[in-house]
Amino acid sequence: MKNDLREAIVAADPRLSRFRPLRRILAHDEFNTGTHGWCELIGNYDGRGDLGTVDDHMRDFRPPQLSACNFFDIGTHGAMSGTYALKLATRPITGHTAVAIRRLTMSGRGKVQIEAYFTFKTEATLGDDASLNTFGDVAWDGNLHPSEAQFGAFTVATDICGDGGLRYHTVARYQNTDLDNRLTRRWMYPTVPEPTPREHFEGKVKLQYGADFTAPNPEDWKAFGEPQELCYNEVPTKVNWHYLRWQLDTEKRRNVELQINDRIMDMSHIPVPPYEESYDSLENLLNFYFSVRTHTSVRNFLFVDSALISVDW
Amino acid sequence: MRQSMTAVLERNTTFEGEFATEPYEAAWATEARWFVQILSAGSDGEAGLRVVTQISPDGITWCDYDDIEHVATGVGVTSWPVREFGHWLRVRGEVDTAGAAVTARIYLAVKS
Repeated sequence: MKNDLREAIVAADPRLSRFRPLRRILAHDEFNTGTHGWCELIGNYDGRGDLGTVDDHMRDFRPPQLSACNFFDIGTHGAMSGTYALKLATRPITGHTAVAIRRLTMSGRGKVQIEAYFTFKTEATLGDDASLNTFGDVAWDGNLHPSEAQFGAFTVATDICGDGGLRYHTVARYQNTDLDNRLTRRWMYPTVPEPTPREHFEGKVKLQYGADFTAPNPEDWKAFGEPQELCYNEVPTKVNWHYLRWQLDTEKRRNVELQINDRIMDMSHIPVPPYEESYDSLENLLNFYFSVRTHTSVRNFLFVDSALISVDW
Repeated sequence: MRQSMTAVLERNTTFEGEFATEPYEAAWATEARWFVQILSAGSDGEAGLRVVTQISPDGITWCDYDDIEHVATGVGVTSWPVREFGHWLRVRGEVDTAGAAVTARIYLAVKS
């Protein structure tokens, strides 16, 4: 009875009924009222505040924008929940990544779920050059647009730590194209933990600007599930919102499942390698991030209309 | 309560010659303010940046906001406001001394 009442209340609220939250909602973010704590990620700096000490590959993840989805052809497209969406935008530099992170802590252990309505686009390319009609494997045919091959990848991930400094990441990446700009349209996970500023400080790793900060070696990424075509919708200025629901279990330190629109992928078998050494200062850390990475010299965008984070503890 | 946001568009970036910041979309904001903080002003400490605000209808094609060239010279912060800018903002600029390298942070503070 209690559960039926709860479901009825959620179903009667158009802002919530588009989600399937777990019992306790920690955050419900619509971006008509600010960024709700989704901010730029940056690597760590020294005690002097010298930003020159930030790792090269983590010093330029770009500030998120509150975007009305304004485009050159129609002007304002608008978002799903109103006018504004959170926008992550890369630089027009191959390999560049934009990251927005949301920082929480855990008051329990168990199921954690992030849901979002998102879309991914490239910046429109304008010019007279006929070569703009072809990119990668895609030639403009009135339906497929070369810009679709100019979108690299977007990622949703966590940074979690607790129980004496045991730290790990769960990661799900949609790789739209590989590094040779061929459409792959598949979901991937890394087999290694993300390189950290402490590992750089200790001389264990030094990555270059534009390195893939989540897992820099392409060999460390594995596909899961079946390839999935999303609704890019032909040109870079049409926005269709996709549903994402990703569930974790912090008791087991595992992924549970990822739902993207009508596809639910079991992720419970996917390894979640923790760091071998413990971390201080991060007890009960619960961070979520979205990132977008371009594999070309074209800006890539990830738009998030809304996000909801819920837990069962 | 009004909405506000500070974006660090360039962070300890070393400029040589001409540059432009990345497009920043801020249709929700009524007012904006640029802060250009020079951290290192060339080998003689006297180099600077000449900076012009630019606006755009689409984030792709740009024009100058006005005919004012803001000059930031030596280590320190220079600031100016912008209003009625439409939906996209950036600055274009150049190092004011040939061959010099200037390291700076560029903040954009926007408010509804």
